[in-house]
Amino acid sequence: MDNRAGALDLQLLMRRVVRRDRAAFAALYDRTSPQLFGVAMRILRQREEAEDVLQECFVAVWDRADTYDAQKSSVMTWLLSILRHRAIDRRRRRAHMEDRLGSEEELLSLRASIGDDADRGAGLRELYKCLQELESAPRRAVLLAYVYGYTHEELAQRLAAPTGTIKSWIRRSLDRLKRCLE
Amino acid sequence: MRYDDPQLRILLAGEYVLGLMPSLARARFERLMARDPALAQEVSDWAERFAPLDATVRPVMPPAEVWRKIERHIGADAKPGSEPQAPQRNFLNSLGLWRGLAGASAALAAALALFVILRPVAPPEVVAVLTDTAGTPAFIATRTGGSQQIAVAPVRTQAIDAHKSLELWAIAGGSPKPLGLVPPTFGGQLEIASASITGDTTALAISLEPENGSPSGAPTGPVLFQGRVLAANP
Repeated sequence: MDNRAGALDLQLLMRRVVRRDRAAFAALYDRTSPQLFGVAMRILRQREEAEDVLQECFVAVWDRADTYDAQKSSVMTWLLSILRHRAIDRRRRRAHMEDRLGSEEELLSLRASIGDDADRGAGLRELYKCLQELESAPRRAVLLAYVYGYTHEELAQRLAAPTGTIKSWIRRSLDRLKRCLE
Repeated sequence: MRYDDPQLRILLAGEYVLGLMPSLARARFERLMARDPALAQEVSDWAERFAPLDATVRPVMPPAEVWRKIERHIGADAKPGSEPQAPQRNFLNSLGLWRGLAGASAALAAALALFVILRPVAPPEVVAVLTDTAGTPAFIATRTGGSQQIAVAPVRTQAIDAHKSLELWAIAGGSPKPLGLVPPTFGGQLEIASASITGDTTALAISLEPENGSPSGAPTGPVLFQGRVLAANP
């Protein structure tokens, strides 16, 4: 989904990182860390924790570079997966989150910061179109989970619905999204 | 949990990517993924589907301390000699934008895309992307496969005073080394010998100079553009 030239370039860097090339690793960090840090900040809303997670993420990238499979996913998506799970873990370990989120309309009106990136922009438009086809509450659940790392329990509280209902909203939404995006 | 139901596998993969699996279930799911490539593929597909949402985030420049910590962690098994050299202190660090070029990944991708459109034949190797102080790519240095030349070209026309010029410098250990004047107009380019980007060249920088370049052989004007060297002379 990345811009093709940019994605290709990241793949070249990854190949060098697998060969333990530190300069390539530094370049990979330079190119991707602002977005990754932004994502960590969005989930954690706490700078020190986001810094820790970014650091853990890149140490893991260096250690596990050889597990990256270019056939399966783009470099950016792989990096995001590593980062996101760490950020979500960290968020769960926290006793309580202060909640300062906007409406899902705000979420949906978020524009891709990568405006020049036509491929990414198209991917986002398509995803938004399919998200819009979901009912409001299930859509909020999906977005709050992905964008802010909400757990089932937090979603239940926030959306004032039983956990069981949240779980079935999520599954139904995933099912519909997959069909819509195919 | 039944992992052989194709419908359920897809849903579980989606929940995993949404970050909704409890820790224990997730650990089990990850072990499963490791030996079930089809399941791993479902997960990658979901990750790609949702990834555009991460592009809506405002990029935030992490503090330099994070990179220093990462370097300390990975220090032990790094290949000696490939460590990036510290940039020369007074010349670039004083400008405080050394790591600023990192902010430009998106715009950088756009610049690279533009470049690929312009040069469709042989895949060029990007030597450096020079960004302005806001992090927007302005010049790109590339080496075409097997060539002894590196071309440094503006990705768009830069407006500069008629009596000024833009001079390119190689930043290595010592003083910046002058590499020539780069045309500010889109379509023009400066060709330099590939060998002038030596292994210890960490960055390229462009400063604003008098009409025919710096009279002293050292930069006299402000550094307007700079970029880390991504691929030195092979």
